[in-house]
Amino acid sequence: MSTILKIFVFPAAMLIMCLGVLTILGGHITPGGGFQGGAMIAGAFIFCAVVYGIKESPFHFSHNFMAAMESAGALIYVGLGLAGLIFSGFFLYNLGVDLNQLVPTFITNIFDYPDPIHAGIIPYLNIVVGLKVMVGLSAVVIAFMQFNHDDEENSDADGDNH
Amino acid sequence: MLYLGPTLFGFLLGFILGSRIKNNPESEIHFPYSSYIVVVIAALYMAWQIGPFPYYADSPLASGFVVCIIGIFAGKIVFGRQPTKT
Repeated sequence: MSTILKIFVFPAAMLIMCLGVLTILGGHITPGGGFQGGAMIAGAFIFCAVVYGIKESPFHFSHNFMAAMESAGALIYVGLGLAGLIFSGFFLYNLGVDLNQLVPTFITNIFDYPDPIHAGIIPYLNIVVGLKVMVGLSAVVIAFMQFNHDDEENSDADGDNH
Repeated sequence: MLYLGPTLFGFLLGFILGSRIKNNPESEIHFPYSSYIVVVIAALYMAWQIGPFPYYADSPLASGFVVCIIGIFAGKIVFGRQPTKT
């Protein structure tokens, strides 16, 4: 890709990632949320990967990193659900809001996201879903680009043999 | 005073993303520190134009956006990937 594209894409990708994070953080107030914000962050990564190529992209998502983020996202999501089950008897009960007044106040204070909206565990769920979506969509594109790279290498090898 | 939730988690998410930045020293493209200053200025302007979330009154600009870009640079400085030789 051209030099102008490469010079533009890296700073733009950083700003798009910040927009994605803002979308995740405002999911309980504004249109947005974990999936939308995670998709925006993944889009910024894909932007860099397409322009620079998967090997030279300034953002490097290794296999271990993607596995860790996916696992952390899923575990924290299930963990919050189990916390609701343990403290209130209902899976994914919003412990930070406690609408049915089933848990003590100190439990509510622990699980409440610290902002003036007091949405409870919803912002935490948005954040972990955002992590999962970010690495999930990026993994799909990385896999396709690796397949494409392998196909090109194989076709070059076949061309040399003939 | 900034609200703890968006500040903390915006910085954390930005830090995670910044830790994945890897600069290739053999690349023809080189981003000096002045380019990052330009990015910060652009980010501050964007945050000013976006404004705070509804019902948020902590700052006149999008605090989550600003702390995210700070987190990206912090992650890059602290855990930036080692340059690889291609």
